[in-house]
Amino acid sequence: MYEEVNAKIKVAGVYENNLFWPRKFVWNGKLYEIEQITLTSELRDAGVKKRLYSVLSKGTVYRLLFNRDNETWFLRALWLD
Amino acid sequence: MLQQENPDLRGKPVGVIKDKGRTCIIAASKEAKKLGVKTGCNVKEAKILAPHIILVPAEFDIYLDATKKLKKIFENITPDAEIFSLDEAFIPLKTLKYIYPNPHKLAIKTKLTIKEVLGEWITCNIGIAKNRLLAKIASEIAPKDSIFEINEQNEEEILKTVNFSDVCGVGFKLEARLKELGVEHPYQIRTIPTDLLETKFGLFLAEALIQIGRGEGSYILDRSSAAHMKSVSRTITLFKLCGNETQIKSVLYNLAEEVTYKVRRMDMAGRQVGFFLQGEEKTISAHRTLKQYIRHTNEMVEIIEDLYKNRKRTFRVIKFGVFLSYLKPLKEVPPTLFSEWYKNEKLYKSLDAISQKYGLFTVRSGLLTQVKDIIRPEVTGYLGDKKYQFMEE
Repeated sequence: MYEEVNAKIKVAGVYENNLFWPRKFVWNGKLYEIEQITLTSELRDAGVKKRLYSVLSKGTVYRLLFNRDNETWFLRALWLD
Repeated sequence: MLQQENPDLRGKPVGVIKDKGRTCIIAASKEAKKLGVKTGCNVKEAKILAPHIILVPAEFDIYLDATKKLKKIFENITPDAEIFSLDEAFIPLKTLKYIYPNPHKLAIKTKLTIKEVLGEWITCNIGIAKNRLLAKIASEIAPKDSIFEINEQNEEEILKTVNFSDVCGVGFKLEARLKELGVEHPYQIRTIPTDLLETKFGLFLAEALIQIGRGEGSYILDRSSAAHMKSVSRTITLFKLCGNETQIKSVLYNLAEEVTYKVRRMDMAGRQVGFFLQGEEKTISAHRTLKQYIRHTNEMVEIIEDLYKNRKRTFRVIKFGVFLSYLKPLKEVPPTLFSEWYKNEKLYKSLDAISQKYGLFTVRSGLLTQVKDIIRPEVTGYLGDKKYQFMEE
């Protein structure tokens, strides 16, 4: 099941082909290296644009949510066995 | 999509439920299907069939984004491509035979593009045929992730053998009524006299069934003709029965808020309002057709409250629904003389501007302050509101 987290995180990554690709993030002071981005989705809450990155770090899927309007990052959820 | 997103789920039986705690399987992975888990199956039943099934809540936002990406792929082939539901589309090629002389090659290329855009784990069935009805049947009966063509050689055989569950527009109830006539496959409809079909099913449905029996395109598959949406509705099933009057009113308000927001976003107004409540095997419903057009939440809620107070509810409610129909583009609606309407319009324009900038329900009615979880918009598999969902693309 996905466990809701909804915590602010710090993200570092690269811009490539006009898109940002996260490479690592910090949550609760701990650094997580991203091995793979398994899915990206453009989401909307009325007019607010958000981008969801589903990423793999040490075998766990994390859903990173980027609010494109106010440029903030959240860890929305993570997969727990 | 969920298996694409999460490698942990790949190759395993997965059942998609609407939300945590829900008991109905709304989609199943191929591994779960192999074990007998079907859409509509109860979670308990699914766990007996597939004890290791992994239950995952649906992510409608993710599915809608995938549909929007698919729409772009298909519209690159032809601007006439039509998204039919959340995961189905029709790509008419009749007028493009010089550009795409070989539909099979196009199908293979399209499958590759879909994998490139959505991910390597995404599967796609493509049906090729002379019309929508047969193309849809072809995609249903094709083995998972493959291309299947219905042509002159195999058409009759398929119509003689295909089950109605693979024929779009024929649901369980219609299938059962056809069975009463001894009809279990589309081809058998040809053996039933037209007047009997008309008596049993009515003129329109009889005509559609005759077309299905002949393997001809049916109006059931034509959802593109309307220039705009005729109605916006919203339903919700709660987790448990609710008898609290304030909560019932809050839910109705919440749903009406979403409906009127969508109507305003589409620059429309409607003049028929209705609602229904279901629970404990009982239903109450009512609607009212108005002389004037409305599009503001307070107007809609006022009418629902009035309709509701005239119905005596004797049961606890689990399912709620509201609708605003007889929709028309606002520019075609005769201007009203009531100054109240213009005040409302100004107010809701401001509220909508806030919603656009900060998200829906950022500003909400006092009636919704007691609601623990606001009911937010979500798409359905049928994608009945696609004109709204695609309007900003």
